[in-house]
Amino acid sequence: MSSVLCPEIPSPGFSFENCHRNAMLEAKGLAMPKAQKTGTTIVGIIYKDGVILGADTRATEDTTVADKNCEKIHYLAPNMYCCGAGTAADTEMTTQMVASQLELHRLYTNRVARVATAKQILKQYLFRYQGYIGAALVLGGVDSTGPHLYSIHPHGSTDKLPYCTMGSGSLAAIAVFESRWKENMDEAEGIQLVRDAIAAGIFNDLGSGSNVDVCIIRKGSVDYKRTYDEANKKGEKQNSYKYAKGTTAVLTTKVVDIEEVAVRSIDLERMDTA
Amino acid sequence: MSLALRPSFPDYESVSKHNNFNPYSDNGGSVVAIAGDDFVVVGADTRLSAGFSIYTREQSKLFPLSANTVLGCSGCWCDTLTLTRILKSRMQMYQQEHNKTMSTTACAQMLSIILYYKRFFPYYISNMLVGLDDEGKGCVYSYDPVGHCERRTFRASGSAGALLQPLLDNQIGKKNMLNAKEEPVSKEAALSILKDVFISAAERDIYTGDSILINIITKDGTTEETFQLRRD
Amino acid sequence: MFLTRSEYDRGVNTFSPEGRLFQVEYAIEAIKLGSTAIGICTSQGVVLAVEKRITSSLMEPTTIEKIVEVDKHIGCAVSGLIADSRTMIDKARIECQNHWFVYNEKMTVESCAQAVSNLAIQFGDSDDDGAAMSRPFGVAILFAGIDEKGPQLYHMDPSGTFVQFDAKAIGSGSEGAQQSLQEVYHKSMTLEEATTSALTILKQVMEEKLNSSNVEVMTMTPNKLFHMFTKEQVEEVIGRLSVEHPVSLNVGGSQKV
Repeated sequence: MSSVLCPEIPSPGFSFENCHRNAMLEAKGLAMPKAQKTGTTIVGIIYKDGVILGADTRATEDTTVADKNCEKIHYLAPNMYCCGAGTAADTEMTTQMVASQLELHRLYTNRVARVATAKQILKQYLFRYQGYIGAALVLGGVDSTGPHLYSIHPHGSTDKLPYCTMGSGSLAAIAVFESRWKENMDEAEGIQLVRDAIAAGIFNDLGSGSNVDVCIIRKGSVDYKRTYDEANKKGEKQNSYKYAKGTTAVLTTKVVDIEEVAVRSIDLERMDTA
Repeated sequence: MSLALRPSFPDYESVSKHNNFNPYSDNGGSVVAIAGDDFVVVGADTRLSAGFSIYTREQSKLFPLSANTVLGCSGCWCDTLTLTRILKSRMQMYQQEHNKTMSTTACAQMLSIILYYKRFFPYYISNMLVGLDDEGKGCVYSYDPVGHCERRTFRASGSAGALLQPLLDNQIGKKNMLNAKEEPVSKEAALSILKDVFISAAERDIYTGDSILINIITKDGTTEETFQLRRD
Repeated sequence: MFLTRSEYDRGVNTFSPEGRLFQVEYAIEAIKLGSTAIGICTSQGVVLAVEKRITSSLMEPTTIEKIVEVDKHIGCAVSGLIADSRTMIDKARIECQNHWFVYNEKMTVESCAQAVSNLAIQFGDSDDDGAAMSRPFGVAILFAGIDEKGPQLYHMDPSGTFVQFDAKAIGSGSEGAQQSLQEVYHKSMTLEEATTSALTILKQVMEEKLNSSNVEVMTMTPNKLFHMFTKEQVEEVIGRLSVEHPVSLNVGGSQKV
């Protein structure tokens, strides 16, 4: 039995109940709301001791910047992180869901989850939805078999690569990798390369911007450097835009006398202890 | 199942898709102008872009038409190139036919006519014509792509126009403020507000950035100034 | 032996060996048959006065229009083939309106004269689908107007040549009238003086006796712009004539001692 006070627990998964209604409304000319897309630059490389992931922090809504400092490197497991590009909600929810599945997997198996496992869950999930879940991911982590880096496309295809980029700034970023990536780089060199690749996206791709986030995953340790580099300094205003007191018009004022507020005292009832 | 929900398989599509050619492109850019009693300042960002890419970071979108008239353009860049060439030649023809330089007011009317002439295949440009009028007062004329013309004292147009106009309404028009007295804006104040609004535009509009080019027009002529913006 | 002229005076596109275009010269002769018109430009404004030839008592004098408004700030007096003048006035009006439409400002008097001049010299043009014009216009025009340079008077002849004048007479009595203007005109002339002088001179060169129905007077002033005199206003000026100008003017060869 369900009631307003006690609603039924919704069945898991997506609800498609409004699809037909929405299709009908759309056919009649109603504009459907657009999802926030993170026109993005996300990258990952494999270096000597593990994996380094990088991302910019701009979220756009058409041609306006919706979020100037968003997080695009998502937690999956203690040894795994995943950069997301595409529809903001999709990347967020997908990685959260996979993170919970991986945690359950770790508890069941009592082992550190493998990166390949996460990759498999993600690609099967995305393939099931035929690209309608707009998540383009760069998955990186270190497990018992070593460092791994995958790029996962919205339709479910994956690539296992030593360095990869995704998002609208992927071309700018891959150019940096193609010219400078090499095997067995040390950490400082790797971080610098990732920073430069993200910066290339930030400056040359209008969908990417603001700061550089970097996440270094080594065997047994993770270094998540939020705002590793502030690629762009905000311009300094010449004037002060503080308003003098009383600038905002007060349209109506109502004063309520405190005496008028009824205070009702209730006799305490003894707890029934009988 | 409705069409909207069906995934598309382009390789198996049985009907040929008719692609409509789109002759316009939006190359972005913003223009802001503020007029005072004896001056006018106009600024335009120098980023030229299309889609998610930047074509150049140093493209001037201000076109001096005479000693005291400047045109600021944003929108379809190829249309801007053509329109400004037409205007330049019309300015010269007028000079030679009438033995005088065209005034800002005459130029404003002529631009309106040139734009309306292409009513059904318009120049896809947000135009802003600034200069000094016959009394030497600063004036700003803003246009829509098909020739509607309006004289104002301040105006923001282009990709960040909708973002900036309310700010100018408040800071220069003194709108929505109690106890604010409306006084003519000074050249220095106009210049600093102009820079500040562009800083704000660069924060939120992806098509505005890199730097701004500013023209300051007074009775002594036009001076130029540049100002850096963020480049992401 | 041929008369030198007859061989070269047919086409408007052929120079004579002496380098003359006879058709144009004939046209200039033609305007000397027209009724007299006088224009005087002062610092206060411009006045135009023309004679109307009433050839029959059955004629309705008001339908002879020799001074016309081109725009609020430009008026014209014409002499010669009036039918031709209509085409040119049309052109002037259209150009003025077009200038206002495109530039939202008054066309200058000089530019207006230039535009009409461009039409006047088209007699030589011919296009593929036949001749555009067979002969020059047989009209002389006085442009009286006010623009940013102040009151101005321009004269244009059938060749399209236009020159600015302080005072100018056209038409049959122009030779004598021009000489008189030379004597009367001075830079500090008031508009009222100019009006009476114009009518005085007109009176002397006209064959008919000058009255309020056989002259047209118009003034162009910064305030009123184009203003055509009413019958009463003309009569008032005529009333002043004999009083203010008792001395007879030296009018051409017709003067007797």
